Amino acid sequence: MAGLVAVAALYLGVAREGPGFVVLGQWIAGWFGGLAPSLTDAFIVADIRAPRLLVALFGGAALALAGTVMQATFRNPLASPDLVGTTAGAALGGALMIVLDLSRVGVVATPLGSLLGAMLVTSLVFVLARSHGRFAVSTLLLAGIALNTLVGALTSFVVTFTFDNYTASSRVLFWLMGGLEARTWEHALITMLGCLGFAALVAPRARDLDLLTLHDDTAHSLGVDAAAARRYLVWCACGLTATTVSNTGGIAFVGLVVPHLARLLVGPSHRVLLPTSALLGALLLAASDFACRLTPPDANLRLGVVTAFLGAPYFLWLLARHRRGEAL
Amino acid sequence: MSSLAASELRVRLGTRDVLTAVSCTLRAGEFVLLAGRNGAGKSTLLRTLLGALPPDAGRVVLHDKPIAAWQGKERAQRIAFVPQSVDTPFEFTGRELVTMGRHPHRHRGEALSRDDLDAIERALVAVDALPFAARPVTTLSGGEQRRIAVARALATEAPLLLLDEPTNNLDLEHALQLVAMLARFAAAGRGVLVASHDLNLFARHCSRVVLLHEGRVFADGPPEQALAEANVAAVFGVQSVAPSGFFPREFRL
Repeated sequence: MAGLVAVAALYLGVAREGPGFVVLGQWIAGWFGGLAPSLTDAFIVADIRAPRLLVALFGGAALALAGTVMQATFRNPLASPDLVGTTAGAALGGALMIVLDLSRVGVVATPLGSLLGAMLVTSLVFVLARSHGRFAVSTLLLAGIALNTLVGALTSFVVTFTFDNYTASSRVLFWLMGGLEARTWEHALITMLGCLGFAALVAPRARDLDLLTLHDDTAHSLGVDAAAARRYLVWCACGLTATTVSNTGGIAFVGLVVPHLARLLVGPSHRVLLPTSALLGALLLAASDFACRLTPPDANLRLGVVTAFLGAPYFLWLLARHRRGEAL
Repeated sequence: MSSLAASELRVRLGTRDVLTAVSCTLRAGEFVLLAGRNGAGKSTLLRTLLGALPPDAGRVVLHDKPIAAWQGKERAQRIAFVPQSVDTPFEFTGRELVTMGRHPHRHRGEALSRDDLDAIERALVAVDALPFAARPVTTLSGGEQRRIAVARALATEAPLLLLDEPTNNLDLEHALQLVAMLARFAAAGRGVLVASHDLNLFARHCSRVVLLHEGRVFADGPPEQALAEANVAAVFGVQSVAPSGFFPREFRL
């Protein structure tokens, strides 16, 4: 929690904006010295940094929660919104909304398109990967890879199909690459509402999540309708992913890595794991975006690249640990 | 009085009829052994009795009410189940897994009550699992995991107990302790149904044997009738010789 506050303060206070740095400290010092902040500085902090920070915090929390829910419901520590096609589906749905120019109809059009895409693709993986009531690593990976490839190809087709319409295709491309540039208060609001709304639906089901990590027959014997609970919780994970992806584009690894990290810290019980994952996810994405913003603008470091840089070594370490005989 | 009754069950999995016209009962105070070859339909019958697998025909009735008509937690307060393995990929401690056995008694978001904590403690003590209850279940041996699974079922305090191969991986001492404990439960008025291949261990203690063969009930009665030498030869394809009394027996090809 302290780390989160520190990152938020740093994020708002120190970062490169355009060619130079704007330092909140100077602004506050000037303000206490009787000098009103310049309009530019006030705009940068309130209308550029604050909404971007909120998208990072709530988007990171939402992706981490979605990963935590999926790992429990698929009974598989390698499940994540990226792997089971949710992110790809959300990207396709959102891209279609932008290309069809429906995103101009209202701010919720792209998130709604993403939500529908996410639910559709996740349902397909769900049906394909299930074998005798279980989600084995092999079937989940195969179904995920197949659907991710297919949906990725469809998304590429949507982009190339609209190359004639330069504005639409460039908007889709920019969005697909992921990143938190030019986030407005509208984006922040949708990400916050999506995260808080779906998190509020998931939180009371923490004990059901614990029970879903057992075999379905055992969960059933303890009074949980495993199929119905799994459906409900996976829809919530789709909602968490879609509202985030529609505002950030694809951000890799957060949904996969953060739940692992949180389990190492507090164990697998979801009553504690869910809030810990959310906090760590918020911290990771805000810190990663902060790192992006500290680099010179011509380096063009993307947020997805930073999260992948953090995620890949973590998994190599996890692999080494697994080879020593410890559980994933 | 707790009772579970199945009548004329037919269960088809894929293209195969796993159970055909199976009828059986479990009443309070009974200790029933469910025996049969691999693939005879024992686990399928347990899943169907539990309500986890709806039958294609026939019905399962718990206390005069169809099993599917029970609300999940109410049903779970009446029948507990011990699966073949603990089967979670996550590092829950033994105590956390046993705590899940109290789920049927707790409302959403409700903290553990004194009754819950006492039931968990009693269950851990009953299977001698206290020494390793704080360890992650993924670091426990097969037998220790098995005892945790039994403790979780005990923590539900359900009057009917269904167990699938409960003595697999158990060492001799804990296997004997488990059978003695199940016999005590039955004597105290609970109904116990055990699917097992360990005829020598269970036949001496159980009150009835249901012998399944190719998805049908081949015999259902007291152990000395159901496991008569002719039945054992017909179902398992082996000779059985009792050096003294009825059981234990020596099995020969």
